[in-house]
Amino acid sequence: MLAGQRTGRLLRVLAASVVLLPQVAAADIDEWETVVAEARGQTVYFNAWGGELAINRYIGWAAEQLRTKYDVELRHVKVTDIAEAVSRIKAENAAGRGRGGSVDLLWINGENFASLQRAGLLYGPWVHSTPNATLIDWQGNPTTLSDGSMATGGFEMPWGTAALTLFYDSQQVTQPLDDPTALLQWIEAHPGRFSYPQPPAFLGTAFLKQLLLVLVEDTDRLQRPVGDDFAQVTQPLWSWLDRAHPSLWRRGRLFPLSGPAQRDLLAVGELDWMLSFNPSEADRAIGQGDLHETIGALHFAAGALANSHFLAIPYNSSATAGARVAANFLLSPAAQARKANEQFWGDPTVLDTDKLSATQRRLFDVLPSGAATPPTPERFLAEPHPSWTTRLEQAWLERYVR
Amino acid sequence: MLRKPPIIILLCVSVIPTSAGVLAALWSGLDPAALTRVLATPGVGLSIASSIWSGVIATGVSLLLAHLAVALAASGGWRARLNGFALPLLAMPHLAMGIGLALLLAPSGVLLRAVSPWATGFDLPPDWLIVQDPAALSLILGLILKETCFLIMALMAALAQVPSAELQLQARALGYGPLKAWLAVTAPLLQRQIRLPLAAVLVFGIGNVELAIPLGPGLPPTFSVMLWHWFTNPDPLINAQAYAGTVLLLLATTTTLAFMAAANTLLTRLLRRTAESGRRRSHDGFARGVARSVLIVGWSTGILAIAAILLRSAAGPWRFPALLPGGDWLSRWLDVLPVAGSVAATTIGLAVATALCGLLLVLPAAERCRRDRRTRAIVGAWLFVPLLVPQMTFLFGMQVLLVRLHLDGRIVAVLWSHLIFALPYLWGLLAPARATIDPRYQSVAATLGATPLRTWFTVTAPLLARSTLLAFALAFSVSVALYLPTLFAGAGRFATAATEAAASAGSGNLRLASVHGLLLAVLPLTVFALAYTTNSLLFRNRRGIPR
Repeated sequence: MLAGQRTGRLLRVLAASVVLLPQVAAADIDEWETVVAEARGQTVYFNAWGGELAINRYIGWAAEQLRTKYDVELRHVKVTDIAEAVSRIKAENAAGRGRGGSVDLLWINGENFASLQRAGLLYGPWVHSTPNATLIDWQGNPTTLSDGSMATGGFEMPWGTAALTLFYDSQQVTQPLDDPTALLQWIEAHPGRFSYPQPPAFLGTAFLKQLLLVLVEDTDRLQRPVGDDFAQVTQPLWSWLDRAHPSLWRRGRLFPLSGPAQRDLLAVGELDWMLSFNPSEADRAIGQGDLHETIGALHFAAGALANSHFLAIPYNSSATAGARVAANFLLSPAAQARKANEQFWGDPTVLDTDKLSATQRRLFDVLPSGAATPPTPERFLAEPHPSWTTRLEQAWLERYVR
Repeated sequence: MLRKPPIIILLCVSVIPTSAGVLAALWSGLDPAALTRVLATPGVGLSIASSIWSGVIATGVSLLLAHLAVALAASGGWRARLNGFALPLLAMPHLAMGIGLALLLAPSGVLLRAVSPWATGFDLPPDWLIVQDPAALSLILGLILKETCFLIMALMAALAQVPSAELQLQARALGYGPLKAWLAVTAPLLQRQIRLPLAAVLVFGIGNVELAIPLGPGLPPTFSVMLWHWFTNPDPLINAQAYAGTVLLLLATTTTLAFMAAANTLLTRLLRRTAESGRRRSHDGFARGVARSVLIVGWSTGILAIAAILLRSAAGPWRFPALLPGGDWLSRWLDVLPVAGSVAATTIGLAVATALCGLLLVLPAAERCRRDRRTRAIVGAWLFVPLLVPQMTFLFGMQVLLVRLHLDGRIVAVLWSHLIFALPYLWGLLAPARATIDPRYQSVAATLGATPLRTWFTVTAPLLARSTLLAFALAFSVSVALYLPTLFAGAGRFATAATEAAASAGSGNLRLASVHGLLLAVLPLTVFALAYTTNSLLFRNRRGIPR
C-alpha cells in the first residue's frame, strides 16, 4: 500500500515536471477557505537556516502574524544547513514514517530540493492553488520556475530572489574591481585581505560558480550535465584559484565557514571583502550597527549569479494545511515588503509589483535604499546545471584539502 | 543488588539506551562500501590523526597540570580553596569556552587588541593562523583548560580515599621536596582511582565537536566534525559515510584508550621508580614557581575567555585595534533579549527537569547501597559507560532507534538523553555523600519511634542537603552544556543555548554565537552560586550540618 502511494506520488512528480510553464490559474476561493479552516490550530515546524539574527526575527514576526490572523502556530526550527532537515526527512522515509513527520515546511533550493524531489518526498504540487502565487513574477524572473535547472513544478514556492554581490571596505579598496582579473591583481597586491566561504558552504560554492560563469567562454556548456570534459572546462577557474590562494586570508589554509562568518571578519577588520546573495545585506547590517559605514558593493560586469530560494512541504507533514497558509502569508505583499525592507531583512521580492494594487505597491515604493546597495546587475546569470555543483565541490576539496 | 528496584531502574535508564545505541550504530555502520568511501575522502587520514593527536596531548597535559595544581594546593595550604578556583572553568560549557577562546586569541581578538598598536605596531590584524591552526594547538589549549579542572575535581574526590596528609608528612620528613613527594608517593595512589575520569577525558578529547567547531583545524576538520557535516548532508550515500565513520571513530577511540591504559600503568610504575633513585629534590622552589605561573596563566585565560564573550556579544562593527567596541551597548543587548529569552526558557526548563529526574532516580538508589561499597562502585562504573563511548557513535545509533519508535523530537527523548549524561555525575557526588553519613543518627531516630520515611526527611535529608544542592547544580550544568544529545534526540526542535551557540559557531557567526555563548556560560555559574547561597541560608541556624 505504501509502495503504491509512493509510485503515485512519483508519477505526479513526473507529470508536474513535464509542464514547464505552470498554469497560473486564479485559486479556487472556496477550496482555499477549507484549507484555511483546516489549518486553524495546527502547529507548523518551519525548518529554516537560523544563522542570521535579522532573518530569525523576521520569521518570529511572521509567526506572530500567523498566530493572530490564522491561529496557526509557526515554530522556527533553526538549522545550520537545511540539509539537516532533508536528511531527517529521508531518515523518516527510510523508517517508514509516511505520516506525522517532524518537518512541515522547509526553506530550500538547489541540490536539496532536487534531492527531495527526485526521491518523491515532497508534498504537491500545491503552489498554484495558493492565492498569492498569482502575484509572483513568473514571466520576468525565470529563476522562479527553474531551480538550478530543475523545474520547480509547483512543489516549491518562490520566496525570494537574489544575485551574488561582492561587498568591500571602500577605505581599503579604492578602484572598482568588477572583473576577475582586476580582483586577482588586487588580491595579490593585498595578501591576507580577501577570502571566500569554504565550499561546500552555500556562498563558497556560489562564488566558484560565479567565477566559472565569467571565466568560461562557452557558458552554454554549463547548462548541460557535467561530463568527461569537467577538467578541461573548469581549467580557467582552477588557474585563477591557484594564483589567488597563496595571497588569501590565512594563505588559503583556513576559510570563513559561511557568509555571516565572513561578515564578522569584515566587521572586526580581518578582511576587506564579503559575499552575499542579498544585495542589501550591507545596508541592513550598517543600519543595525553590525558593519561600518564605509562599505561599498559591486556585481561582476559580466553578470551576477542569480537564484531564487523557495518554500516546500515534505510528503509526510502532518500540517500541510497550516504549512500552505503560512506559505501564502509569507508571499503576501505585506510580508514580502517587510522582507524586502533592509531594516528587517532586505531580501528582494519575488512578486511582480505591476500585478499589485496601488496600496500594495506603495509598500514597496517607500522602502529605504542605502549607499551600500549596488544597482540591479547588468545581467542575471542562471545557475549551472546542478551536476556541476557536486563536481566543483568535490574537485575543490581534492585540490585544497591537504 | 538485583533485589533492589531503585538500583535496577537507575541502571536501566542509562544502560539500555546506551547499549542499544551502540549496537544500532554498529548495525548501520558496518557497510563496506560506505567505509571505502570514508577512507577515500580527501584528508580523512589527517583528520583522524588530528583527532587522536589533540585528544592524547590534551589528556596528558591536563593530567600533569591537575596533579601539579593539587600538589601545590596541598603543600601550600589552600587545598580547600582549589575547588573554588576550578569551579568557574568547570561549570563553563565546552562550547562557551571554545567560542570565548576563539574571540580572545584570534589575530583580531581581545588579547592582541590590548597591545595594539602601541606595542605591536599593528593597525590591521596580522594574518596569523593561530586559532583553528592545522596542528590543532588552539583546540588542545581549549581542552586543557576544561579538562584540567575536571581532573582536579576527580583527584580531589579520590584524595578522600587516600591518607595523603600523612603520606606527605612522612615523605617530607624524609627530606623530599613537596612536588617530588607528591609525584612519587601520593600521585601513584590517586592515579589508580581516577582511571575512569581520565578515560572519559580522552574519549571526549578525541570525539568532541563542542571545542572542535570553534577551535579545531579547518582543512580538514577533526574527524568528529567531519562526521557531523556528513550526517547533515542531504545525500544518503554521504549519510551512510557518517554511520560508517562513527564505527571508525569508535575503533580509533578504543585503540587509543588501550594504549593510554598501558601508558598509565607505565607512568604509575615510573613515578614509583623515581622514589627508588633516592633523590630528594628538596629545593623545588623554581619548579613550583613555574608550575604556579602556568596554572595562573591558564586559569586567567579561561576567565578572560568569558570576558571576550561578553565584549563580542555587545559589539557591532569593532574594527581592529579598538579594545572596546563602540556604539550603543545597551540597545544592542535589548535587541537580542527576546530571542535569548525564549532560548533561555527552554534551556532552563530542560536543565531543571533533568536535574530533578536525576535526583529522583539517584537518591533512592544511593539510600539502598549506603552500606555496600562494592555495589556503589559497580553502579558507578556502569553509569560511567556513556562517557567512555564517543558521543557521536551511540547518539547516531540512538537516533535511528528513536525515529523507528516515533520518539524523536519528543521532550521525553531529549530529557532521557540528558539524564544519561547527568547520572554519572549525580552518582559520583551523592552515593559517597550518602554513605559517609553516620548511621547512628538514623538509629537514634528509630529508637525515638520515627518511621524510616520520617527519619529520611528529618534526619538524612538535611545532612544531605549540601550535596544534593551541589548535585542539582552539577546536573543542571551538564544539561545546559549538552549539544549533540539535544540535536539528535530533539530532531532539531529544541532550541537551547547549546544548539543555538553551536549552530552559529558552526556557520562561523561569532557575534551571534557569543550571545548564546554568554547565556551558556552564565546559567551554570548562576545556579552554582544559588546552590551555595541557598544551602547556607537554609541551615544558618544549625551547627554540624555541612555548608
